[in-house]
Amino acid sequence: METEHLKCDVLCVGGGIGGLMAAIRASELGAKVIVAEKGNVLHSGKGGGGCDHYLCYIPEVHGSSIDTYIEEMLQTQQLHNFQTLGMKRIRAHIARTFDIVKLWDSWGIPTKQNGKYHFAGHAFPGGLRCLLKYEGRRQKPVLTEQAKKRKVQIVNRVMVFDLLGKGGVGGAVGIDARTGKIFTFETGAVIIGTGAVARLFPAITPAWLNNNATRPSLTGDGRLMAYRAGAELQDVEMRMLHVGPKYFARFGQATWVGVFRDPHGKPIGPFVTRPEGLYGDITPEVNKALFHDYWTSGRGPVYMDGRGISDDDYRDMVHWFAHEGLTPVSEHMKEEGIDQRKHPVEFMTYDHGCQGRIVTNENGETSLKGLYAIGEELAPGVSNASVFGWICGENAVNYIKSGHRPDVSGMREQAQQKAALVGSILARKDGADWREVNIALQQIMQDYAGWLRSEALLEAGSAHLARLKKKTYQIIRAGNQHEVMRCLEVLNLIELGELVFTGALERRETRGNHVRLDYPLTNPRMNKQVQIQKRIDGKPVTEWRAEAR
Amino acid sequence: MESRSQIGGQASMPPVIDEKKCIRCGKCVDTCPEDVYFGSKKKHVPQVTYPQECAYCNGCVEECPVEGTIRLRIPLPMMLLYKQAE
Repeated sequence: METEHLKCDVLCVGGGIGGLMAAIRASELGAKVIVAEKGNVLHSGKGGGGCDHYLCYIPEVHGSSIDTYIEEMLQTQQLHNFQTLGMKRIRAHIARTFDIVKLWDSWGIPTKQNGKYHFAGHAFPGGLRCLLKYEGRRQKPVLTEQAKKRKVQIVNRVMVFDLLGKGGVGGAVGIDARTGKIFTFETGAVIIGTGAVARLFPAITPAWLNNNATRPSLTGDGRLMAYRAGAELQDVEMRMLHVGPKYFARFGQATWVGVFRDPHGKPIGPFVTRPEGLYGDITPEVNKALFHDYWTSGRGPVYMDGRGISDDDYRDMVHWFAHEGLTPVSEHMKEEGIDQRKHPVEFMTYDHGCQGRIVTNENGETSLKGLYAIGEELAPGVSNASVFGWICGENAVNYIKSGHRPDVSGMREQAQQKAALVGSILARKDGADWREVNIALQQIMQDYAGWLRSEALLEAGSAHLARLKKKTYQIIRAGNQHEVMRCLEVLNLIELGELVFTGALERRETRGNHVRLDYPLTNPRMNKQVQIQKRIDGKPVTEWRAEAR
Repeated sequence: MESRSQIGGQASMPPVIDEKKCIRCGKCVDTCPEDVYFGSKKKHVPQVTYPQECAYCNGCVEECPVEGTIRLRIPLPMMLLYKQAE
């Protein structure tokens, strides 16, 4: 198998918003930077289709107290997104948001409307509006251009699957998803940002694997390679829900302007009674399972009702749809004759199944020397990804200046081992393709670690998953390099599924969307505790720890 | 795994390319984050090898230099549900 060896100071694994920002910053500070991206940086990742809202604190707009801003922000969905990250970290993020916004504007990502900063959506009527509207439709091409300007080397179509190094991380191994060439990277530091997790739990259309709000190729590769290298993961068992239009899974719920109503026209939340562009209807952010509850209790469906929207709000909404990556939705509505001003559109709860994060501190450092994590490896949102990308770019450069270089002498062997696995997947004439394995995995996750959990269910599911894993390694096959990439994704997902089971069994309480039928109480003694998982002797070991301050 | 050629070239799963308008520049092939155009040949009309892997992200439509060449037909299972106007 053909191999290529590349050397750099900083390797960014994943070229999303976070990865590109880290690369830009590290390169500016003089480092030789490579971005390895499984797809193509132009439109990859959750921010690849664009975004229209950015958490941004501007003292002239929000007042001089950053804490007041944070307090308001933590009453919205950010409470769930940022929980247990610790205030030190949240402050570090929010304090630098305005700097990044100004930078983006200067690069050609417009952040002002008619010369002014405009805040709207995701807000309680009368409260502080924390999200800046910006025109992010071309954000990825703009960031790509900025990275190239600074001589960042972008290696598209290369899926990195393992980190290397003794006493820290100093290398990585990947495979070209088109040619099959094996890449080895020798580096001073690695910044991981491979995004959230899709495809572990079923998409909203059974067996239609790609009907996901987030990108289907986000398969937790980053957190799994970090875990295999010995880094700590946190709260992997916790479940992530979202709300969006029914059957066309998309994010961007708050870009829609209207009122969430039941079939009789009654608003399901107490916040708005008519479409209100400045605030939107924030009801789903208080409880994302509410739409699911309406459905299962027979009170549903729930509609996003835009009737009565003002002409100005409607015009703005159409504008923001294009920036939030919702053009395919508006095109579909046009084709089907669906008019938001006349037709209430059904919304639903999406079950993304898996939250969790790589443990990092406020500098973005993981528990392994030389390894940083950003973006959805920690928490959702373009603001979080861009700020911590920038911070980690700086910190990685400072770290490599310290001269610490882990031992990467095992690089060749590890590359050969992986090449042998790929070779066996390609050599099989019959067996199961990645799709078959993925569907088998999803049904176990849904039935045994989904909406309802108990020790008996989790143990039964876990045992079946172990059998599926064994069998998968014996028979999974691919017809070409593209399918090899999908197979490697599924193998990562299986491993993540195992960690979900381990964590869910150990969390003997009900908390948020982790519902244990055998432990129905939310244990207040675990309010400020996080569950850590770490690989020791090839097996996950769990530990409870006080959350970061 | 079905490819376009195996299903007779008649299905119009997304993305759908207008062969008359396509200038064979390959930008969509380069861009697609999911690589649905895997195996396409340079200077040919792109081949949609993995239509079921399309994420409907619009990346290829955005990068295509000739407007109206690529269309994302939204598959039936993904149709939006709505209430008729009163």
